Order: sequence, then structure tokens, then C-alpha cells
Amino acid sequence: MLSFIGRSIIQKTVTLFFVSVVSFLIIHLAPGEPSQVDPLNPKFTPEIVERFRKEFHLDKPMYVQYVYFYRDLFTGKTVSWKDNQSVLAKIWERFLNSLPLFIVGTVITWTLSFPVGIRAAVGRSGLYDRSTTFLSYLLISIPGFFFAYMLIIVVVTRFHVPVIGMETFGLGDAPWLHLIMDRVWHLLLPSVLGATGGIAILSRYVRSQMLEVEGQDYVRTARAKGVPEEQVHYKHALRNALLPFVTMFGLILPGLIGGSVIIESIFSWPGMGRMAYEAILARDYPIILTVNFISAVLVLAGTFISDLLYLVVDPRIRL
Amino acid sequence: MTNDYTKAISKDSDANAPAVPRRSRLRESWQLLKQNRLAVVGLVIFVLFFCTAFIGLVLTTGTNPIFDPAMVRLQEKLRPPLSRPNLEALRPEEVPGAGVYLLGTDDLGRDLFARMLQGAWVSLTVGFVAVGISVLVGILVGGIAGYFGQNHTSIDTLIMRFVDIMLCFPSFFLILTVVALLPASMYNIMIVIGLTSWMGSARFVRAEFLSLREQDFVTAARALGVNDWRIIFRHMIPNAIAPVLVSATIGIATAILTEAGLSFLGFGVPPPHATWGNILSDGRRFIFDAPWLTFAPGFAILIVVLSFNLFGEGLRDILNPKLRERY
Amino acid sequence: MTVRRVLILAPAVLIIFLLQSYFWVPTYEEQTRGNPGRLNEYIAASIGDASILNPILSADSASGDINSMVFEGLIDRDEELRFRGRLATSWEIYEDAYFYINEEARIPGVGRAGVQQVETLLQRAKAGESPVSPELRTSLGNIREISIVPPREFLVTKSEKAKDEEAAEVKIRVSSPARIRLVLNRVDQDLFDNLSYILGKKYFDSFDAQGCLTVDDEKWQEKLPAYADEILPVTEHNPIVVFHLRPDVKFHDGHVFDANDVKFTCEAIINPKNLSPRIATYEPVKRVEVVDPLTVRIVYKRLYSPALETWGMGIIPEHLLNDEALKKEAIRLGKDPEKFSMRQSSFSRNPIGCGPFVFRQWKSDRHIILDRFDDYWEGPPNYRLYIYRIIPDVLTQEMEFYAGTIDHYGVPPHQVRRLKDDPKYQSFSGLSLGYTYIGYNMRREPFNDPRVRRALGMAINVDKIIKYVLHDQGERITGPFVKQTDYYNHGIPPVPYDPEGALKLLDKAGWEPNKEGWLEKDGKRFQFTLITNSGNPLREALLAIAQDAWKKIGIDVRTDRVEWAVFIEERVDKADFDALILGWLMGLEPDLYEVWHSSQTDPYQLNFVGFKNREADDLIIKVRQEYDHDRQVAYCRRLHEIIAREQPYTFLYVGKWTAVLDMRIVIQETDSLGNVVYKKITPTKTGNFTFYFNKWRKLPELPSFAAEG
Repeated sequence: MLSFIGRSIIQKTVTLFFVSVVSFLIIHLAPGEPSQVDPLNPKFTPEIVERFRKEFHLDKPMYVQYVYFYRDLFTGKTVSWKDNQSVLAKIWERFLNSLPLFIVGTVITWTLSFPVGIRAAVGRSGLYDRSTTFLSYLLISIPGFFFAYMLIIVVVTRFHVPVIGMETFGLGDAPWLHLIMDRVWHLLLPSVLGATGGIAILSRYVRSQMLEVEGQDYVRTARAKGVPEEQVHYKHALRNALLPFVTMFGLILPGLIGGSVIIESIFSWPGMGRMAYEAILARDYPIILTVNFISAVLVLAGTFISDLLYLVVDPRIRL
Repeated sequence: MTNDYTKAISKDSDANAPAVPRRSRLRESWQLLKQNRLAVVGLVIFVLFFCTAFIGLVLTTGTNPIFDPAMVRLQEKLRPPLSRPNLEALRPEEVPGAGVYLLGTDDLGRDLFARMLQGAWVSLTVGFVAVGISVLVGILVGGIAGYFGQNHTSIDTLIMRFVDIMLCFPSFFLILTVVALLPASMYNIMIVIGLTSWMGSARFVRAEFLSLREQDFVTAARALGVNDWRIIFRHMIPNAIAPVLVSATIGIATAILTEAGLSFLGFGVPPPHATWGNILSDGRRFIFDAPWLTFAPGFAILIVVLSFNLFGEGLRDILNPKLRERY
Repeated sequence: MTVRRVLILAPAVLIIFLLQSYFWVPTYEEQTRGNPGRLNEYIAASIGDASILNPILSADSASGDINSMVFEGLIDRDEELRFRGRLATSWEIYEDAYFYINEEARIPGVGRAGVQQVETLLQRAKAGESPVSPELRTSLGNIREISIVPPREFLVTKSEKAKDEEAAEVKIRVSSPARIRLVLNRVDQDLFDNLSYILGKKYFDSFDAQGCLTVDDEKWQEKLPAYADEILPVTEHNPIVVFHLRPDVKFHDGHVFDANDVKFTCEAIINPKNLSPRIATYEPVKRVEVVDPLTVRIVYKRLYSPALETWGMGIIPEHLLNDEALKKEAIRLGKDPEKFSMRQSSFSRNPIGCGPFVFRQWKSDRHIILDRFDDYWEGPPNYRLYIYRIIPDVLTQEMEFYAGTIDHYGVPPHQVRRLKDDPKYQSFSGLSLGYTYIGYNMRREPFNDPRVRRALGMAINVDKIIKYVLHDQGERITGPFVKQTDYYNHGIPPVPYDPEGALKLLDKAGWEPNKEGWLEKDGKRFQFTLITNSGNPLREALLAIAQDAWKKIGIDVRTDRVEWAVFIEERVDKADFDALILGWLMGLEPDLYEVWHSSQTDPYQLNFVGFKNREADDLIIKVRQEYDHDRQVAYCRRLHEIIAREQPYTFLYVGKWTAVLDMRIVIQETDSLGNVVYKKITPTKTGNFTFYFNKWRKLPELPSFAAEG
């Protein structure tokens, strides 16, 4: 067990190192320059450009830039090229904005998928099963921004209430409950939109997992013993079907930083996704690289946690 | 997040993939497919989409196409579907091919129908080429890892570590970064989507190969002195291709959606090529004044992607022997 | 089964909880009726976020929007586009003029003269002792003071860089002759021309400045003429602007604004360390002098009348940004004080100015909140809060507008028609500052003939373009000045649409139709290529329309769309084109030098059509050196006439913009009796509808308006 953890950590650190190298290369080998040092930008004279290049170490060889960058990152000194703000502080602020969206989205996904998936598995090939199947494919297939606009337009033109942003502007000094509920309302649409894909896929997975388990001998045995149908489904089948989902908790971790660029831009939600997107537009390399690095760390941590959970949950696996 | 669930499902099914092909498989598959009505519908739309794209290609290219998707008629902008052109304000060569604007015109007075036709072809190309690249890379990388991996563990480890590295990048963010940094072009988008999505197929193929190379027919082939590459291409790949095909079908759907998403953010296929994604993202500004500009491409994408997904899922069921018994 | 119940209940409770939040959110009407606080807030939407809230460093429009609320300039323009005082109550402009004594030159009636003699000569002439021409009389009458600057010796060090070599220092020994200084009551660009009637025609031109310089290294000898022009210009105009500042104006932190802040602002812009994007427009400033706390004197290196406009620039507080303050901040943040500049200072995210609104909060990519400044010198604005929301998507901006959570956004033209008819909203539209034109390469046949250029213009039906292509969102224009300003000559009729007349004109120029109907001259067909940049559908449509129109009168036109970078670098910069479609964005100042002066026709310069006209050149120079508005207007109108006559461009149109606001936003004023009066918002001449923004407020219901006066 301990050796597994040790090996895993070493392996993941090595992977992380290569990820940092690859992402650094992708960004620095791509043609074009950050807009601050773009010689075609009419606002800047050659001297200004030269000065910026020096300030950002762009005049140094690539490996020196790499070392400088990660040294700054680990000492927390990296600053955004666009506004000289500390990158970590910026990311933290955006992370806090994305967090409620992520939490509500995940909660919706997980609470909704199970009943839907189980019901579909229980009434296999019935009308309910077929319509949820179709519906989940519909949800996976619809372009996210198209769906988002449909929803926004319906809400705004029918109900005349604001939905964009994190809160209604100009509420003044309304009571705190009011303000909280207002925020909840603004969370609703983007998190539902963010959850649609997840609900569709997860409920399908629940369904197939249930079907898998229901075909097992012990379920048949239980049924043969005369255990009531409901108990068969919810006690014998569900418990065993749940196993793989436990490990999936680790895999939702990267979603913390990913956010959705598209949903956040549409709802002008100042989250991680949008910050990353704007950094890409401005070629703000420190932010792009940091976001990439953190998300790689989360992916690796996520798989690590899910491996561990698997170890804990499934007694059959002993490494 | 989405990706991880997909991976989970795929992992589940590839373990159950058929090991040895049977003779009557094709017919049996067809029988099975027919039972899955959604998949049949998917297939029909899939075929229709193909035909439309090909016809569209013929009708919208050339020096003087019947439907010219690039013809700007500013005086005819934002005309609703089925409206007749204002003949006195147009020169003869500007009159639309069908005599009416079948789907209306956009903000520059371009015929939306012509643009949708052209877009069908472009979307199809983006989907197929991107997935083609990803499947090829996946088979190659997965095949090498799976076939040579046993004797040369280092190759396998190296390749699989590389796959791990690639999986560490948030895929849409990676695509966005690369597409934004590279000069805008249709080919860049296809290549980037392709090169960032091969990891799934590589893993399938490797797993398949690991089990296939223990099979008797491979051992037999090797005993006969058939060389490695021939074994790989002639004997193993045809047997390992099934799960890859399924994921490729769904991959095309994902690629079309990804292109639409990129277009929305302004990094899609650049003009003059029309894609459904950029028609939709340009058209959304006019959603109250010209809703057809949003709804036509929106529903087109929805229907096509849905059909790909349904068909892909049907394929998966057919190829899955366990489910076969059950249905 | 509990499991089952939980599984069904959990999502149901969650969904109900989420949905019930709807009842807490106010609708459009509730926001204005049920919440008086909302009426005191103005919420604007922007696509992009601000980048740096320091007016001397910002270059983007979002930062500009906020800076114009937080900071205040010395002057701005009123409804009629005249300058009016803001932080300055008044200003005067006069001039210091200098010239070097040319001891070699012969002065008519005097011969060679030293500095004393020249001075007495001028004094006498000023006293009117000899009869002179009226122009000279005016110039002399304008002289307030004549004095002598004694000769002096000094050393100038220049850094030179030869090809592939390190920068070298060049030491130049200068022994400058004596100089006469003339203080003028107002700026007089003709002064030296007129003085040469007294001092002799060649007095100034024959001055040997090079003779006064010695270079330490022979290598740089060939640079001497350039140095001479720079170090010892024979004549020099130093226009001077004196601003009298408004007393008791406070910055938001309570510190009193004074002349040092003005001096500091100007010097901060010029300081290369700050990398200010505005450095070019302040380059003519020679020095800024603080006369007393409420008087500041700005001395310019040369005549440049557009310079006055630069003082609309927001003034930044010296006490927060001077070297000492920056050093302190650098040390506090643990950064190198040597490298720490205004750009790194936290001031850029927490600005303090003396404008009508006080900065409160900036959440990146979300919003910027400003409070009103209760000590604002003109009285506090009606709105308590100004909120600048960043909404990157145009469609969601529109949705927020309908939902009532933004008051204003940039309305795209296609929405205008729909919103204009909605009784809920009021709309304003005005002409923009840019025009679109077809330019002809006048270096090439047959475009060197003004008749041909006019005929080409006459063949195009611009009114129809405006009606069908622009959907009436544009107006005709006849020349290169902003149509709303006095400089624009409204007396000039636009080129009429008259294909017949065009044919007649071409006939006069020697172009006659051949058998197939094409125009020919000396057996050569009238044939050329019209180009524009790709990616601009409007211009591409114009391309097709022009081609079609010219084909109708028998001109064989080919068209080409070229990618922007190639278009500029290969075609425009190298003047390699026959005719092109392009647009210019104009400033309010009537400075045409870069686009129309004959010295600007070389490759990479902006007069790429090759317009050369001596009278126009003369006027262009006069306009940019003239400080008197009426005379400037007279020059400009004449210039406009010449350009319209010559038709180097076919001027097509200026576009229009539109803004939409809730009908209930009005101007609230208090009349002399202390009654509150409401007025409708009306745009000014340039269409600036936010001119009276400080008096705006939103009412719960549409008021009855005071009789329009």
C-alpha cells in the first residue's frame, strides 16, 4: 500500500514535469508574440517593445525562460503581463467565483442522475427508458451555447428577470435573504446548463451499471428467494452498482478548475474559464501556463485519489 | 468532467468487445440494428447528411455555382425564409439559385441556404478529418505499445506515460490555446482537434492488442514467420478496430460540437468557409431580428450530432456480445 | 424504502429550492418602482474590461470611459465644440519668438548690424517711425516686448549609432550668437515673413548655423547640418499657454489640486520610463512652469495648434505618484525602487482624481463601481452610483437591457429600428467621425485629370447606397472635415449622380465610346483595377456597386479584395494601386497634414493618393499653426473647397451611430426659484448625448417636461 502510494507520487511528479515542459513549449513555439510586445501593434514604439521583452525575459533563451517562470510560480511571484497583478491571487479570486457554479452543478448532476438512471434500468426497454435514453442523447448533442441562448431568451422575454452575471445589479440594500436568493437564481441557469451533459452521461452510466449488476447471479438468487422487487433493486443491485461511482469522486476534481469557457462567457460569469479565455486572447502567457499547470496537478491528484478510493473500497484489489 | 464519464463508459465496454469475428456477423448486426429504432433513425439521418454534404459541395463550388454562399447583397440583408428577392435592386447574377431565399438571408444578404449547404460539407470534413487523424494516431501509438510492449517494456511505458501526459491537459482549453496561437485556418483546427483526442483510441487499441497477441491465430502467424508489421496490419488491426469505430462515430459528433464551440469563441473555421458553427455564432446577434439565422444551424447541428450519437451507440450495442444476448 | 425515497426526494427538494429563488428576483418594472435606490444608479455595459485606470497610461476605450468619470482635464469642449474651462477657469495663449542675429546679412538701409542695432531697428519700426505694409503693421503691433539674449558657449552631447556599431557619444561645442526675443500678444505665424520686410529677404535664410558648431570627431562631420537645424534654429516660435486654475478643487482624497499636479501630469507623460502611449501628442511641449499654485505656463517648441486639445487629459495627483511616493510603495511591496514605475503602482487599480465620480471598487471582468463625489466643484452629480459592467457578449448585453439591469449598451444598428419604435425607450443618433471614400492614385493616368475623377464620382449613386446598403444609417460628405464642426464647408454641394454628365466630362477629357461601348482615348481602353481590403463586407459591397456603375458608362473595371496586412504593406504603402476603397477616422482638430500635404506622398506615408496642390499645402500648414479659431475656420473652408474641386477622393458617406435609453431617464435641474425641472435628454452637436450626464437621473414614472426653451 505505502509502496504503491510512493511509486504513484513519484510517477505523477515526473508526468507533471513533462506536462510543464510540453505546455511551455506549445505556448512559446507558437507563432506570434504577446500583444504587449507585438511589433505590429501601432500603440507601441520599438523601444517600448524592447523594454517589455526585457522585462518579461523574452530576450533570453527558452530554457532560461522556463526556469524563470517556474521559479516565479513556486515562489508565488508570477505576475500577469496584462495588468501586473499576481497570477495566483487572480486565480484564487476567480476560483472562488467558479466554486459555487461547480458545486451546484455537481450536486445537480449527482442527485439527478441516480434516480433517472435507476428508474430507466428497472423499467428496461419501457417507454420511460427509451424516452430518457433519447433525452440524454439530445442533451449531449445540443451545442451548449445554442441551448444557453434559448433558455436565456425564454426567461428574459417571458419572465422579465435578469439572469446574467453573479447577482442582480442595483438591488441596493435589500435584506440578506433576498440577496442570497438572488444569487441562487443567478446560479441556476449556468449550473443547470453545465450539468446537462453530466446528467445525460452519468444517468446512462448508472443505467448500464445497474443492468450489469442485475444480470449477476446473486441478484437472480435474491429474486428467486422471493425478495420483493423493490428490495432487489435498491438493496442488492444498487449497493453493488455503486462501487465504481465511488472512485469517480476523484475524477470530478479537475472540473474545479476547468469551468466552462462558453457558459461563463455567455453569462459573463467571472470564473476561471473566462479568465483563461481572456488570457489566451491577450496572450498572457503566465496565466495560461499557471492555469494549465494547476489543472494538470488536479488531474493527477484526481486519478491518484480515485486509485486510492478503489483500493479502499474494493477488497478484491490488493497491490 | 464530461470526458471522464465517457472514458468510464468506454472502458467498460471495450473489455466486453468481441474477440473473434463470426461469419454471419454482418447479417446478424443488421438484424440487431433494425431492432434499435433510434439507431436506425440515426443511420438514416447520417446517410442523408452525407448526401446533402456531397450535393452541397457540388452546388456551392466552382466559378459560378448554383448556390453561391459568398455572394454579398447588402441591400437584401436579413430577409426571412422563403422571401422573394427584390429583383430591381439586384443584378442578374445576384439572384439566388432557387429563385427564393429558401432559408432567408444573413446580415450581409448572403443566401443562408447556400451557406448551410456549404457548411454541411465543411462540418463533415472537419469531423471526419479530425477523427481520422485521431484514429490513425491512436491505432499507431496504441498498436506499437500493445504489440511491442511485452518484449520491450520500456516502449510501452514510454508511450503510456506520454498518453498520461496528454490526458493531463484540459482538452477544450488545450485546443483553444493552440488554435488561438496558430494562424486561423480550417486545417489547423482539424489537425489540432485530431491531435488532442487520440488518447482514447490508443488505449483501446493497446488493450485489444495485449489480449489479441495471446490468441492462437497470432501465435500461428508468428510461427509461420510472418513479419511483425504484416501481423499488425493484416491480422490484429481488423480484429481490434470495432471499439475504435464506435468511438470514432461519437468522436465525429464531438468534433462538430467542438468546432461550433470554437466558432462561438471566435476561433472557428475562418471565413470565407461557412460552417454551421460560425453561421450560428454570427447569427446569434440577430436572434430577435432574424431568428432563422440561429435556429437553422442550431437545429442542423443538433440533429446531425444526435444522429451520429444514436448510430454510434447502436453500433456499440451490436458489437457487444453481452448485450446481444440480453436484447 | 428509505433509499428510494431519498433518491427521489433529494433532487426534488434541490430543484424546488433552486426554482423558488425566481420569486426573489425583481422584474424590470419592480426594479424601478419598488426600489428607489435603483433610480440613483446608472449601469453601463461594456464588452471589454478596463486595463489600467491611469489616464496617462491607458490606451483602451474601457479604461478611457472610467478615467473620464474619475479624472478631470483642464479643459473640454462644450455643446458647440468650443473649448471650455474645467479645472482651468481661463487660459491665454501668447508667444515667445526668437531669432539669431545674422551678422553677415545686409539689412536694407542699414547694412551689416549687430544685436544692438537690430534691436533699435525693431523698436523704431514698432514705434511706427517708418511707413510699412498693413501686414507688417499688425505683426509689429502684436509685439509686446523686445529684448536681447546675449551670446553664450555650451556643450551638447549626442548619442549616435552608426551601422553595426556601439552607440557613440558625440560632443558638440556650440558658440551661439546673440538672439532677439520677441514677446507677442498672440501667436503670429507670419511674424518672421513680415519681419523680413525690414531685415531683408535673406536675413533668416542666410544664417550660418553650422559655423557656430564644432564637432570633436571628424567622423560626424556630415551630420553637422542636421545638428545645426536642431541646436540652432534660426527662428523659433515658442507658443505659450497659461492656464489659470480653478481654486479649491479637491482630489477625492481631500488633497487640494494645484499647478504642481498639472506640471507633474505633463512631465509624467513625457517621462520615457512611464511608457505613456500619449507621449507623441506631448512631444512639442518644451517645458511646464509653475507660476503660482493656481497658474501654470506651458511653453511649446513650435507652432502646433492641435496641442491645446491635449489638455482635456485627466490630471493625476502629484502627491500620490511622485518619485517619493512610488519609492515608498516599492519598498512596501518589496520591489526594486529603481525599476518600479507608475505602471506597477497600485494607483492604476485605485485611481484618485478630481472628476465627478469617486472610484470605489474594481472586480476584474465583472464590474467597476464609482460613487459620486460630493465635493465635486460643479456640484455633485444626481446619480449616486455609476456602475460599469463587463459583459463580453453583445446578445447577453441586450438581454440584460431588457431585464433592466443595465441602462445603456452599445446598440448594434440592426436593433435600432425595433427599439426606436418601442415607447419604453428613447433613442439618440448622430454622425460618427469616420468617412468612407474611393481614392484615386493621382500619379497614374488617367487619374491625374480632375475631370476624370469627378466623372467617376458622378457615375455612382451614393444616395442609393445610403438607402439600400446602409439602411439610411449614413449621410453624404463632401470633404475631409468632421461634418458637425465649423471647419466643414456646408456650402459645397455633393457630386451629383449624373451618368450623362459624367460621359460629357469624360468626352472633354478625351475619352470617347468605341463600337463596343467601352470608353477609349488614343486607342487605349479606359481600364483599371479597384481594390479594397477583404473582411469588410460593406467595402466589398461598395466594390461591386462601383464596378457595376462604372461599367454602365463604359469603363472596364476589375476588382480585387486583398488581405489587410498585404493591402496596407504591398498596395497602400507602396502606392501600387489604381483606385481603392478605404475609410478615415477623423479627429475634431482640423489637422490635415499627414493625409493631404504634398510632403507626405512618399511610400509608407498617408497621402498615398499623391495629392499635391500648392495652395492646399500652404493652407494645411497655416491651419496647424493658427491659434485663432475664426481664421482656422476660414482656412479650412477654403481647403475644403480646393479638395472638393480637385476630387482626389470620391467622398462617399459618414456612418451613423445610435444609442438607446429608458424613457424615464431625464435631465433634472433646479431652476432659479428652487423648483425641480425635468428636461428631455438631447444630444449635442457631435451627438454626445451624455454631455449633461451629471444632471441625469431616472424617475419612477415618465414626468411632464418643462416647456422647451
